[in-house]
Amino acid sequence: MLTCIGCSQEEEKELMVESNNDGEIIIVAVGDSLTAGYGVAEEESYPALLGKKLKSEGYNCRVVNSGVSAETSSGLLSRVGWVLGLNPDIVILETGANDGLRGIDPEMVEKNIRDILFRLKEAEVITVLAGMKMVWNLGPVYVKRFNGIYPRLADEFDVIFLPFFLKDVAMKSELALSDGLHPNGDGYKIIADNIYPYVLKAVIKKENL
Amino acid sequence: METLLETRDLSKLYSIGERKIQVLQSVSLTVQEGEFVVISGSSGSGKTTLLSLLSGLDRPSSGRIILDGQDITDLTEDQLAPVRNQLTGFVFQAFHLIPSLNSLENIMFPAELQGDQKAKEKAEQLLERVGLSQRSNNFPEQLSGGEKQRVAICRALINEPKIIFADEPTGNLDSENSDGIIELLRGIHQAQNATIVMATHNKAIAENADRIFHLHDGRLSVER
Amino acid sequence: MKRVINGRFLLRELLYSKKQAAIYILCVSLSLVSLIAVNSFKRDIDRSISGDARALHGGDIILHSHYDLSQGLQRAVVGLTEGKKATAVRTRAFYSVARKSDESGSLLCNIKVVENGYPLYGRVDLASGREFSQVVGAGKIVVGQGVLDRLGIVVGDQLLIGKSLFEIADVILYESAKPVRFFNIGPPVLVSYKDLAGMDLVKQGSRVAYETLLKMADATTVDTVAARLRERGLVGQERVETFRDAGSGIKHFFDNLLFFLSLISVCTLLLAGIGIESSLSAILRLKEKNFAIIRSFGATGAYLLRHYLLFVLILSAVGTALGIAVGLLVKGYLSVLLSDFLPPDIVFRASAADLSEGVVVGLMVVLFFTFLPLWRINNIKPAVIFRSESSRAKKSFTYYLCIVLGFSGLCVLLIRYLGEVSTGFYFLGGILLLLLLVTLMTRLILYFLSKIKWRRPGARLAMRSLLRPGNVTQSIVVTLAIPLALLLIIYLVENNLRGTYIDSFPADAPTLFCLDIQKNQQEAFLGLVGGKVTLHPVIRARLISINGKVVNRGRELKKRRDNLAREFNLTYRDALLEDEILVAGKRLFRKDEKGEPIIQVSLLDTVAEMGDMKLGDILQFNIQGVEMEVEVTSIRSRTRSMLYPFFYFIFPEKYLREAPQTYFAALHVESEEIPFLENRIVQGFPNISTINIAETAKEMGRMMQKLSKIVNFFAAFSILAGGLIIVSSILATRFERIKEAVYYKILGADSRFVLHIFFLENLLLGLLSSVFAIVMAQAAAWSLCHFFLGISYAPGWGACLGLVGLTIIFVVILGLLGSIPIIRKKPAQFLRQLN
Repeated sequence: MLTCIGCSQEEEKELMVESNNDGEIIIVAVGDSLTAGYGVAEEESYPALLGKKLKSEGYNCRVVNSGVSAETSSGLLSRVGWVLGLNPDIVILETGANDGLRGIDPEMVEKNIRDILFRLKEAEVITVLAGMKMVWNLGPVYVKRFNGIYPRLADEFDVIFLPFFLKDVAMKSELALSDGLHPNGDGYKIIADNIYPYVLKAVIKKENL
Repeated sequence: METLLETRDLSKLYSIGERKIQVLQSVSLTVQEGEFVVISGSSGSGKTTLLSLLSGLDRPSSGRIILDGQDITDLTEDQLAPVRNQLTGFVFQAFHLIPSLNSLENIMFPAELQGDQKAKEKAEQLLERVGLSQRSNNFPEQLSGGEKQRVAICRALINEPKIIFADEPTGNLDSENSDGIIELLRGIHQAQNATIVMATHNKAIAENADRIFHLHDGRLSVER
Repeated sequence: MKRVINGRFLLRELLYSKKQAAIYILCVSLSLVSLIAVNSFKRDIDRSISGDARALHGGDIILHSHYDLSQGLQRAVVGLTEGKKATAVRTRAFYSVARKSDESGSLLCNIKVVENGYPLYGRVDLASGREFSQVVGAGKIVVGQGVLDRLGIVVGDQLLIGKSLFEIADVILYESAKPVRFFNIGPPVLVSYKDLAGMDLVKQGSRVAYETLLKMADATTVDTVAARLRERGLVGQERVETFRDAGSGIKHFFDNLLFFLSLISVCTLLLAGIGIESSLSAILRLKEKNFAIIRSFGATGAYLLRHYLLFVLILSAVGTALGIAVGLLVKGYLSVLLSDFLPPDIVFRASAADLSEGVVVGLMVVLFFTFLPLWRINNIKPAVIFRSESSRAKKSFTYYLCIVLGFSGLCVLLIRYLGEVSTGFYFLGGILLLLLLVTLMTRLILYFLSKIKWRRPGARLAMRSLLRPGNVTQSIVVTLAIPLALLLIIYLVENNLRGTYIDSFPADAPTLFCLDIQKNQQEAFLGLVGGKVTLHPVIRARLISINGKVVNRGRELKKRRDNLAREFNLTYRDALLEDEILVAGKRLFRKDEKGEPIIQVSLLDTVAEMGDMKLGDILQFNIQGVEMEVEVTSIRSRTRSMLYPFFYFIFPEKYLREAPQTYFAALHVESEEIPFLENRIVQGFPNISTINIAETAKEMGRMMQKLSKIVNFFAAFSILAGGLIIVSSILATRFERIKEAVYYKILGADSRFVLHIFFLENLLLGLLSSVFAIVMAQAAAWSLCHFFLGISYAPGWGACLGLVGLTIIFVVILGLLGSIPIIRKKPAQFLRQLN
């Protein structure tokens, strides 16, 4: 996540996109390194696990990984157009962690995510918003302000809302890489399981449209 | 009289690059004790090579050399050392004194090699005999050609060798000095009954010899 | 009773060859002084650099984790401290948003909570000049100037961090300990460990770097203790590092520097040896006829060997004594004299240990390098008197045994100096290979020269004299070329080290990085920061395949260093940056008939190497969902490094202009201006993150300055010593070369003719030696840079040409000087001497 400078970043994954054939539902997972699957093989990232699970349950869905490591909410906002170019039916939005780790003003983060949600709403994309909770060391005031962003926006836009993306995973050394921050393969399994019901809700909503 | 030196079918081949040069071809000769033998021949006829083989300074390509009843042909360098030191003396055309040593020390050197306690006295006697006592502290650079050769002869004599080889001893000297050197060698021959083998191309000097061999294109013939 | 040693003879020989003996003594003492000096300096520098590394990492051993230490490791640390084997200090580092006491402003800060005793190594300088330990305590913190400037507060004001209210007691001017990662977002704040609990920031749900720093009572135990701790630590969670192997960019640099110093030691050793060998060879060659004469009176080979071994040993002893005397003499003055060129904590000590080591090593070098010349004595036959060429030495079992023993000795020395067995062997192998190569080349060239028909009589005679049977041309060329090559190797490696590390910290290096500048903020941002700043577009993308071969992510991710599976930052622009050069391809991008660039990519050489990519390869990228196939049309390399931004992949603008992108800027701002600029940027563009690297840049710059001094000084010292050694060996070989001239004079040549021939001869010798030296040095320096140092290589042809010129001038002048007495004197005088 928090890697920067020139071009020294890391990460993984590939995707295939293009047109929407025979009613297949396109789910685009947008986000930062937590979506991209920093430090794990591509098939271990949560979008890959999610896609596999949906397929095995008989849903005609394709999950596209559009995670960009080290990206902040500002970066994501600037590429919403690009994301919409992928013709998504459903977008899973996970962003803001890097903003928080850099101590960026929560007001700014909120505004960015609001703008993103607005653009998605305009494009009539069903959105699953993944909430983020900031690490405690940033201080109670900041953490409180930051953590408040997601439920507020979920209410405002009436999107499907997963309260905490890293639920049951954060701060567990056995589920994290040695940086203590990014989940490992086992961590992503839990994330995929946690997010599955919310995505399913979106899929059903799409099928019922 | 006993035979002191004898060679059989002595040959020497030099190879310079690809070329091979036959310097000596089956040379056989004998030298009796007390003889004064001259080997004559023009320059390049192989005189120096023959002398260096006879004295054990070089090794023949084939043939044998028997010196004082000992076959020295196949001796190693270190086995040859006592032969060179005690049995033979060598006088070079170009003197070959050791530049770092003075006249006296040059003469003493071979005696010192065998640990002779009387080296200095002997050397002084020899210097006196050749009339160079006053030059004993001079270094080779400071000596004239004739003086150098007289010192070189003393050096060859100090261990009282049975046989003295002299390779064109007057080759680098003027006639006056040459006469002196020849006189000296003859004197040694007569006084001590020393055996001398001398190479020279000078007919006049050769006249003094008991016997004369002639070397031509590597082949030896008896002249007298 | 035969006497073993003829003392008078020995004395006479010593006195007689005083001129050559003096040169030999000079060589030995010069070699010794350089060896002692280089080793003394090297140890000092080693100590100083280790000190720097310790200060940088804050301890001998660093235990790092993102959680509290595991039970096993904790017990091990307690065991060490209770047993008085080590002192330990714990630190907790994390980011937190500090607030002004009235909540009117906040700032992300880099908080480090430190236990009593911190820092174990290095120092923390405070603005007031007080001791760090006396200032930081319960409720009192020290902060970087940036905290004050950005929040608009002063020392004495209060600051809220977590649940605690602190008094700002002082300002941090300098802290030697730097986090492993050089780039930090916030300014530093140092807090006492007593306040850790009160802040209530380190608990479940916090992201904290837990470090325990250890200072060993006995520095030699660092590696063994670290290895033991490593076994106790949890794999994948706890890292145990020593100050030497801690994973920072600096480590590679320190390693390289130390390797360079060892290299200089070894080169000095070899130079010394070659000087000794060639000057002794020269003495002994002149005496060859003498040996033959002495043998003709019945001296044994052993007798000669005995006397001349003693001869050499006496001269060597004199040289050694002189070397030590000079060493002691300059000991006091050298450091003073060189104080401008040396970093402050480096002095020339020349302790008793240095001196005795110097003597032992010197003796080994003398024995090794005099063995071959002395061995020849043993084999000289009286027949040499009658012929001028030297006899071939007979090689017995003892000879080979001695060679093997000598080489083993040399190996031991090399390994000792290079500190590693395999490196020592590589080095020795490399030297032997070069030796073989240059010998072959000399033979080949001399052979061709002998086949050429020279028209001009001068050239013909010069050639004849160089090529006559029994000539020493080959050995002169080899003995001259090798030390020249060694010197050039030192110079080239030094130059490349400097180019890679030191010159990449110019005064105008960037001090502030700005990330995440959005497309629509470009103009406003430029207006705010003012001046000409390049905004680099950054487009995130992944590399899918190279020539249709899919990048194996599983395997790539396991790579310890950079890998091809990560997300890359692409950029677009149509020109090279100032610090970029093309290493493959004619221009950055190829154009089609209409003058438009086709779809293509330019690679940086490092990434090309990583994936074994070359011109014409087809790369497939996935740019956030859109796939793009591009051909590699050029490969670039960088001339600066470290703090300058660089991009692996550059596209023509037209193909990426529309892709999602942010901008990155590297600014040079005076460090005291930075906090204010940061404030303005954050106020205008809250989404932009700024990274203040002024401290890092300054610290790196300071270190590089110091190291550049060391590197320069060392290289200059050994080049000077080597130069002197070369001059003395040229002098030594001069004696035998002037003989030729006598004959020309006898034949009636005038002075001009003799000079002419000498000029040509020496010109050719100088040219051959220096050209061979360049070939060898280029090969060796490239291998060293490529395989051992892992840095890019610039061949420095200018210096090489300079070397050719200097060598020729030197050899020709010394040669001509040597011929002057011949021209002056009457030939007869020389003839007398020759007889």
